[in-house]
Amino acid sequence: MNGPVIPEFGRGSDCVRDRELFCADWVADNWRGVLLPRLVEHVELTLVAVAVGFVIAFAAALAAHRVPRLETPFALIAAFLYTIPSLALFQLLVPITGLTVATVQIALVGYTLLILFRNVLTGLRSAPADALEAARGMGLTRRQTLLRVELPLALPALLAGVRIAVVTTVSLATVAAFVLPRGLGQPIFDALREFFTTKLIAAGLLAVLLAVAADALLVLLGRALTPWTRARRAA
Amino acid sequence: MTVAGFRPGLFADGIRFVADNPGLLAEKTGEHLVLSGAAIGVALVLAIPAGVVLGHLHRGSFLAVNVGNVGRALPSLALIAIGVAFLGIGFANVLVALVVLAVPPMLTNAYVAVDEADAEAVEAARGMGMSPLQVLLRVELPLAAPLLFAGIRTASVYVVATATIAAIAGGGGLGDVIVNQASYRLAGVIGAALCVSALALAVDGLFAALQRAVTPAGLRAPVPPLEPEVGHARIAL
Amino acid sequence: MNPQGIEFRDATKRYAGRAEAALDGLTLEVRPGEVCVLVGPSGAGKTTALKLVNRLVELDAGDVLVGGRSVREADVTALRRGIGYVIQQAGLFPHLDVAANVATVPRLLGWPRARTRARVAELLDLVGLDPATYGRLYPAQLSGGQRQRVGLARALAADPGVLLMDEPFGALDPITRTRLQEEFLALQREVRKTVVFVTHDVDEAVMLADRIGVLREGGVLAQYATPDELLAAPADGFVARFLGADRGLKRLALRRLGDVELEPASLLADGDPRLPAATSLRDAVSAMLADGRDRCGVAENGALRGSLSLDRVVEVLGRDGAR
Repeated sequence: MNGPVIPEFGRGSDCVRDRELFCADWVADNWRGVLLPRLVEHVELTLVAVAVGFVIAFAAALAAHRVPRLETPFALIAAFLYTIPSLALFQLLVPITGLTVATVQIALVGYTLLILFRNVLTGLRSAPADALEAARGMGLTRRQTLLRVELPLALPALLAGVRIAVVTTVSLATVAAFVLPRGLGQPIFDALREFFTTKLIAAGLLAVLLAVAADALLVLLGRALTPWTRARRAA
Repeated sequence: MTVAGFRPGLFADGIRFVADNPGLLAEKTGEHLVLSGAAIGVALVLAIPAGVVLGHLHRGSFLAVNVGNVGRALPSLALIAIGVAFLGIGFANVLVALVVLAVPPMLTNAYVAVDEADAEAVEAARGMGMSPLQVLLRVELPLAAPLLFAGIRTASVYVVATATIAAIAGGGGLGDVIVNQASYRLAGVIGAALCVSALALAVDGLFAALQRAVTPAGLRAPVPPLEPEVGHARIAL
Repeated sequence: MNPQGIEFRDATKRYAGRAEAALDGLTLEVRPGEVCVLVGPSGAGKTTALKLVNRLVELDAGDVLVGGRSVREADVTALRRGIGYVIQQAGLFPHLDVAANVATVPRLLGWPRARTRARVAELLDLVGLDPATYGRLYPAQLSGGQRQRVGLARALAADPGVLLMDEPFGALDPITRTRLQEEFLALQREVRKTVVFVTHDVDEAVMLADRIGVLREGGVLAQYATPDELLAAPADGFVARFLGADRGLKRLALRRLGDVELEPASLLADGDPRLPAATSLRDAVSAMLADGRDRCGVAENGALRGSLSLDRVVEVLGRDGAR
């Protein structure tokens, strides 16, 4: 944020001036200008972080599936990243990559790696042994077994991992505003400084709704992609 | 890495900061511990009995599981923000937010652990003439212990980590140092972060030891060290 | 594909660190369209021998020929796609419905959709599962017996020349197992595949086999003969013990009343059981013993064809080379 801190009280209605708990009119006034752009930024941050994290973790998990010895080093690196308090990690990266979006993205990606790596690997290993033996006996090549049997069967665990990664990232991205004024964290930090409750509640609720909506969407996606997990013996 | 400001020796700087400022860090750690401990305590009282009872009665699965799902999705800072809006800045309000964040994993795990305790063992116990309370205490709870404690540990580590950002809302604790790079420099940030990690590990270790102590010898499987659970993981904030 | 013959020539397999060979110089020939059942105790190498055919296990010495060609020279993938493989746990793909499971190999071979769909329906019918009802179900929704049927259909889908079956009915309850064994026999009469079938159950072997190969520990072939020859004249003490002390009775199960030269019906007394000609000699003897009689009547198409006494049963078997 550049320039002097000017409280964004919008057009200053009675409600706001009287410092009431929640002013709907402020929200309506500032939706287009303040809340929506931050929401969009937040979604962007999350999507990029999870996408990049997924690519990396997926490649690592595939490698570890092939070469079991790789699992421990990968897991250790990811776990180490995971335990660094995010507030600290964001600040630590600033000297390296500057006060840029890249900084935040790097940290966010780092946090998704453990969950995604673990889940993809677990998923890949979950194919039943007899199905794999039958596949081999039927003449599926290794690649075909991976693509047609192991990967589809890994979907439930994989999607569970993506689900957790997404909501975790939404949460972390709010904290990221501590170093970079992007995403829904920015109005939250501002509002904490000014003690502007409407903004606090509006931004906070938006973040909550975003996370819950993303979670629900992924659940539905999971159900659509994995019909066999819900099939049970009739009698 | 040669970018200005960052040196590999920064980690050592962090440790030196801790050594140089024992009083400050002890005070902050104490605040952090009090806040975390209170939140964990309240959450335990709210979540565990409820989860265990519901699991024993095999009721309310929709509620228990979905509270867990939704709870896991709640962005912590957003929750603190909303809490502050309603209750103002300060310890009590942050406490409320932390409790709200800690309850879901504890509740869900407690429910699932008791609900899915080996059905055959439970039935055998009932068949032997144990009262429902005896079944719960002597069979279901011992069998449920690993998963139940896993939920407690996950929630506890999460609380310790999240209490860090409580500093922004007036909660005190080690977060005060981490958000104050201006005063304490990067070395301070790192030093305090190391303390948070250490505290989280200690709390996890404490519950792990408790779990070991409470689990009957016959059921003892090796208790794993701090590991974010696949499925219930939450990150250190 | 026409059924292909299989030949084991001195096939040997050793595992590192083990004193005994898993399979030691196995030599036998399975004629096209024949069912060869390999039996033996655990560790006798029956599954090893089976897996040498589709190269899930590689030969150390000797050779295995399928349709006259050595498996060593064949491209592994192509070889396996031309061989049906059925295992005990069925190994169905949990994420695919029944139809997709059965269609696996045809899809791999690039068959046109319409042909695949028709073939899937044909096979499901063949194994006794209505395609309309079962095609869209997932393996988790099927019983053990149904899963095995789907496994069999899947193995037959690309019309292989050879079928390998590794204790396919071992995990099923006795009633289902008997039913599937009978259906397999009926199926085999219709499709006439060359089958190598592994089991540890002597009764199953006797029921299903054209010829039985008995393997002993160390992977050595003790005897290779038709069920009747085997039961009548076991090659040595091991085979005799393996067949069981009741092998005489097992032999009785191989023949039916209608197949034997009967005595006149006039010899029957009141109270003697009357049995259909399709009854096995074993069940006939059992019926006689149960009623405390020593003669039974044989009925066919509503009329009495003749009678059979216990003495006559002993005579008949004796003539055929009982030891």
